[in-house]
Amino acid sequence: MRDDEGSGEVLPDEELVERGRAGDDAALSELVERHHAAAYRVAFSMLQEDDAAQDVVQDAFIKAFRALVGFRGEASFRTWILRIAGNEARGALRRRGRRRETALEDAGPVRSQQKPPDIEAVDAQEAGRARKMMETLPEKQKLSVALRIEEGLSFKEIGEIIGSSEGAARVNYFHGIRRLRELLQ
Amino acid sequence: MRNMKCETVREWVPDYVSGRLARLDDTSVRSHLKACDECRAEVELARLIFESRVDVPDGLANRVRDAVRYDRTSVSRPWWGITAAAVAALALGIGFSSDRPEQSESVIPGYAYELDDEDLWLSDDGLIAGAPALDALSDEALLQFLDELDVGGAGGSA
Repeated sequence: MRDDEGSGEVLPDEELVERGRAGDDAALSELVERHHAAAYRVAFSMLQEDDAAQDVVQDAFIKAFRALVGFRGEASFRTWILRIAGNEARGALRRRGRRRETALEDAGPVRSQQKPPDIEAVDAQEAGRARKMMETLPEKQKLSVALRIEEGLSFKEIGEIIGSSEGAARVNYFHGIRRLRELLQ
Repeated sequence: MRNMKCETVREWVPDYVSGRLARLDDTSVRSHLKACDECRAEVELARLIFESRVDVPDGLANRVRDAVRYDRTSVSRPWWGITAAAVAALALGIGFSSDRPEQSESVIPGYAYELDDEDLWLSDDGLIAGAPALDALSDEALLQFLDELDVGGAGGSA
């Protein structure tokens, strides 16, 4: 979304949040455009189910926008919406009545969960294997790796999302990477 | 040429594989990788992860927008109006007695989105290979733990 002055400047999230608070639908729409993909990947990494992940993204944005007036801006909107998405995904897991097993020996080849078609179509076998190994990591490690590599977030931002310190997010990331290297060898 | 430290390169690996590194840094990492098998292996792993990330379903953004629009205009739940009322109530101190904080949530049902840290992550997620919960560790202890992981603790966050 660009500003109204015709300068072509892309508005920062903070400005969109301000406009959204004032009831600007276009600003909210732009926030959805910018952040729904990352929110979906966070939700999918936790749920491993396309429909459930989409529901989570939808609910996360609705709840975020309802609470927009209370958003204090201490974190960026991006980390805030991703944290809400993570929380919603956790709630969905609880409602599902089970937690995904994280031990490698329990991550067997038979999975009934629906997967996005791109996973099936990943040409590189190694990439598909890496993704499967990712699923076996404990949640905080998995999310730290995914948020750092896929979304380019800093460890400080990751810590805000997973509810850890920056240092703990860093350790989770490097430990997850080390485990993946071991598993893929 | 291997004048960059491995720990610095590994901090930058995610940005390198996703093309987010500045050109100068990118060149430095490239030079380092020519002479460092271990960092090259880490780059390959990160590249696998980045390239296998899930695609976002077509139409998800529109679905979310529609849901948001419906929620905002829903007659049964005019949260936008409730929010405005909440702000007014806050300004006037109505219904927000300090000795009865639980009342505030009942005044504005569904208004505030509260994250409950204690409930959000199971306690075992903070455990790594028998180590104590990471959040309970000091910065020094975390750095030591990173050293044990053989990745070093230096370098800022990306």
